[in-house]
Amino acid sequence: MTPMQQIAILPYRKVIAIAMRGLRFRLVKTFLVTCCIALALAFLTYILCSNGMTAHLADRASDALQQRLAREGMLDQLKSADKQSQTAWMLGIALLISFVGIVNAMLISVTERFREIGTMKCLGGLDSFIVKLYLIESLFQGVVGTVLGMVIGVILAYVEGVGRFGGDTWNLLPPGELAVLLVVTFGTGIVLTVAGALYPAWRAAKMEPVDAMRSEV
Amino acid sequence: MIDDVTTSAQIVRAIGVRKVFRMGDEEVQALKGVNFSVRRGEYIALMGPSGSGKSTLFNMIGGLDKPNAGRVFIDEVDIAALSTIELAWLRCHKIGYIFQTFNLIPVATALDNVMLPLLFADVPATDAQDRAVELLKKVGLGERIFHKPVQMSGGQQQRVAVARALANNPAILLADEPTGNLDSKTGHAIIELMRELNESEGVTVISATHDYKMLSVSDRIAWLTDGVIERFAKRDELDIKEGSTDVRH
Repeated sequence: MTPMQQIAILPYRKVIAIAMRGLRFRLVKTFLVTCCIALALAFLTYILCSNGMTAHLADRASDALQQRLAREGMLDQLKSADKQSQTAWMLGIALLISFVGIVNAMLISVTERFREIGTMKCLGGLDSFIVKLYLIESLFQGVVGTVLGMVIGVILAYVEGVGRFGGDTWNLLPPGELAVLLVVTFGTGIVLTVAGALYPAWRAAKMEPVDAMRSEV
Repeated sequence: MIDDVTTSAQIVRAIGVRKVFRMGDEEVQALKGVNFSVRRGEYIALMGPSGSGKSTLFNMIGGLDKPNAGRVFIDEVDIAALSTIELAWLRCHKIGYIFQTFNLIPVATALDNVMLPLLFADVPATDAQDRAVELLKKVGLGERIFHKPVQMSGGQQQRVAVARALANNPAILLADEPTGNLDSKTGHAIIELMRELNESEGVTVISATHDYKMLSVSDRIAWLTDGVIERFAKRDELDIKEGSTDVRH
């Protein structure tokens, strides 16, 4: 026997197809995880956007708006260090909760699918295939959730901005800065979801094929 | 108790196999030096009460577990010497698994289930599809290739599992209580199907079972008790009655 001759590393296209089939099958769970990511990322995008707007009030807002804000004492209030550190805390907690949510959801999915994973290993599936399967599932939810969150966050920030600053809102944030901000948010979302899936994926890959024989759940 | 057949005709050879499990401070000897061999093309049943070491021996034959002492050869390959990837190769190409709980991938159609081991074996997709359709026809499910497991009865699901197990032309069909979750009539049909395939394809069938229907088609039956093989019996030595099995002496 020459074992290495035909051991298949499944092409990514196939692994993606299998992962997508799994996500469709567990539609409700997929939806919930995606929402959890979307919410955290919407919060992040919203905070970054409105902070960016506030930061540019001095140099980009019209004189009329600056005078109105100064009259109402809002300028100091918006820039107060207290409020900013409070926001940073909330942001950190939101991202942490989202991360824990992803890890938890993926771990449950590993436990639930012990028989499926064991069976795949009995049929000749490699550890690397199982890892890829879980990372791709998570990555897909991450991309969808993050993009959704970014859209919601930007809309929220601008809706609130228009309420506070009126028509000036559209000029406050330079397009370049907005782009950088969105790239950072996207990166955060992807890192968050992939990092959250690493341990569950490793756990799944380390399952023994004999688990497929277990009859109790 | 090693058989007198020549080595090359043996698909499985277990020599002095011992397996010890640790449970806390206690050591449990699951297998206490088992010698066991299976001829190519044989249909063999492993029997024994729970705790007899039956599952442990069964898992070793299936390349799912390694012995603490002694050696297990599958098609002349010592499984203890294999790396993780080589074991995956062995499972993919040499052994077809049939489970008590069917274990079809729930999200996939019958066709996709049968195609999965073929994809793992690097068979091109179109060839894999042809092979899967052919196998599903062979097990009598030509009309249901696009059905999902939930849309099929237990017997049909087990037929898909049999087709999937045969996908890569394995040398051994390893069945763990294949009729355990089926009613008597359906179970009988699955046993017949496995026997037919054993005869037509020459695949060796090794089955762990409590099912007396299984014994009547087996070439040989191995009884395990307390981690040793207590005895072997040939089919013609068996006197099978409903609900009991005696060996004529």
